[in-house]
Amino acid sequence: MEYKAPVEAYTGVVREVTIGKGKKSLKIGGENIFPFHFFDQGSNPNPTKFALEVLDMEPQDWPGHLVEPFQDVISGPVKWAKKCQDFAVDAVSLFLMSTDPAVKDAPADKAAALAKAVAEAINVPLIVYGSGDEKKDVEVLSKVAEVCDGMNLLIGPVIKENYEAVGKAMLDHGHTAIALTPLDINLLKELNVKLSKFFPVEKIVIDPESTALGYGMEYSFSLMERVKQIGIITKDNMTMMPIIANLGGECWKTKQAKENKEQGLLWEGITALSLLLAGANIIVLRHPETLKLIKETIETR
Amino acid sequence: MVIIGENIHVIAQAISTAIREGDAKVIQDLAKAQTEAGAGYIDLNVGPMKKDTEETMQWLVNAVQEATDLPLSIDTLNPVAMEAGLKACLKRPLLNSASGKTDSKEQMLPLAQKYNCDVVISVMTDRGMPPDVDSKIESIMDTVAYANELGIPNEDIWVDPIILPISTAGEGQRFAVVSLEFIKILEDVLPGIKSTVGLSNVSNSVPNELRPPLSRTYLVMLERNRLYSAIADPLDKELMSLTRGEMPEIVGLIYKTMDGEDIDLSSLSQKEIEYVKTAKVLMGETLYSDAWLES
Repeated sequence: MEYKAPVEAYTGVVREVTIGKGKKSLKIGGENIFPFHFFDQGSNPNPTKFALEVLDMEPQDWPGHLVEPFQDVISGPVKWAKKCQDFAVDAVSLFLMSTDPAVKDAPADKAAALAKAVAEAINVPLIVYGSGDEKKDVEVLSKVAEVCDGMNLLIGPVIKENYEAVGKAMLDHGHTAIALTPLDINLLKELNVKLSKFFPVEKIVIDPESTALGYGMEYSFSLMERVKQIGIITKDNMTMMPIIANLGGECWKTKQAKENKEQGLLWEGITALSLLLAGANIIVLRHPETLKLIKETIETR
Repeated sequence: MVIIGENIHVIAQAISTAIREGDAKVIQDLAKAQTEAGAGYIDLNVGPMKKDTEETMQWLVNAVQEATDLPLSIDTLNPVAMEAGLKACLKRPLLNSASGKTDSKEQMLPLAQKYNCDVVISVMTDRGMPPDVDSKIESIMDTVAYANELGIPNEDIWVDPIILPISTAGEGQRFAVVSLEFIKILEDVLPGIKSTVGLSNVSNSVPNELRPPLSRTYLVMLERNRLYSAIADPLDKELMSLTRGEMPEIVGLIYKTMDGEDIDLSSLSQKEIEYVKTAKVLMGETLYSDAWLES
């Protein structure tokens, strides 16, 4: 008897979200199959996209092998962002860490001006992450939204403690939101329910929080996998958003990645590939050689 | 459905103060209120009770028995407090609770036999909480066999599957479904056996105002699966109405949801919609979040 492989088809579709405007725009999500399930019925019109991270201040604790590719531009975020384009990125992710009250407490308007300068200097869309300080982010991200009015940046983190204020600023100025919850699918859904009461659901991207290999990556993996399953199989409106895996910082914080270059690239690479398999739609990395490594791996599948 | 009134509970500040200060009135008022509301037993959850154990227990049981004719459920893990409580009971009490853990088998189960009372036995064992239906059944069969050998018949045993909070990250909904299935097959596996659950635990760590819908809906679902009793709040009028069969439309809707029938929400009232949404969450059909009634 001839063997016939079973073919699955699902009814849920991950929302296709556009970030950026005009020529500088990018689509993520839109799939109705699981990652790399090419054998099933359905498609993934927008394979996973990659961004490189840029900090708004010179990094203090980066090992030499991480600084090296950006040695000449590391003190200037605009130049650094432009240089990212040499590595065929789909987007750039600006991390406004200097605004953190525990770091430099840099003012919101300065951060917003920088975000605008970076967004204008590059020819790919910009992602902006605040410091994660729930109070300061209200000020900083609202200002970024206002100054970059109409540019449709992908801005986060929008969290349970500040989604009303931050979400409103992003809505008023036409941006896309990164809704972040720390590794909990129930809280993740709750935030999406609450945010989408006033914020367009097709402009929300989920950040379920990415953790590095050896430091809890399995949690992020299972969570992303479940978000996808619940969205695609059960058509849960509140989990059918694309996922961003912001993992570069987490990986390069580890002792192993700091120790030597090869280990660092593999640490970031394995984490990224794993979360890619779990369903991440856009991945933020730190080292351009990791990006190269992953692209080669995908292309030679 | 036998409701074991849960309101006399040391976690409540007023109760622990009343016990410490020997103030019977607070406790008697609660016992009366629960009796009038239709409870079948009054649970006395006294915690570990480390000081003056026997005297306090005796005082408490006597105080409550002055206020109500209902039988009592003596709820403590301390065997000394348990024995003192059982000894003081005028009506056949409920020992709440024993388990398959070695110390419980050795210290609690013999008390149930000695005082010829009903006994709650949970599925817990020395290895902890059995995670799925099969392992729960396996554990409880072992413990029940042990109890039978001591001379405690199935009819005196109230099995507790241990209800866990629905909001437990990622796992809570699976737990809710496991307990439903466990209760459904329990009597087939152990004929004549009774069952009970700590109902309010299903909504533990859920915002207070959202807890009642979860408890009410879950109780209806468990009752359909032949649950015999529940440790619950008899002062929740809607919960009691549901158990008394006074809300057949709601019960019908919950059953339909359990059966996976298509329900047209647009024809339902707000309250009915909430029951359907809650049942779906408890069936694991839609993903839980604290905003489950809003989406």
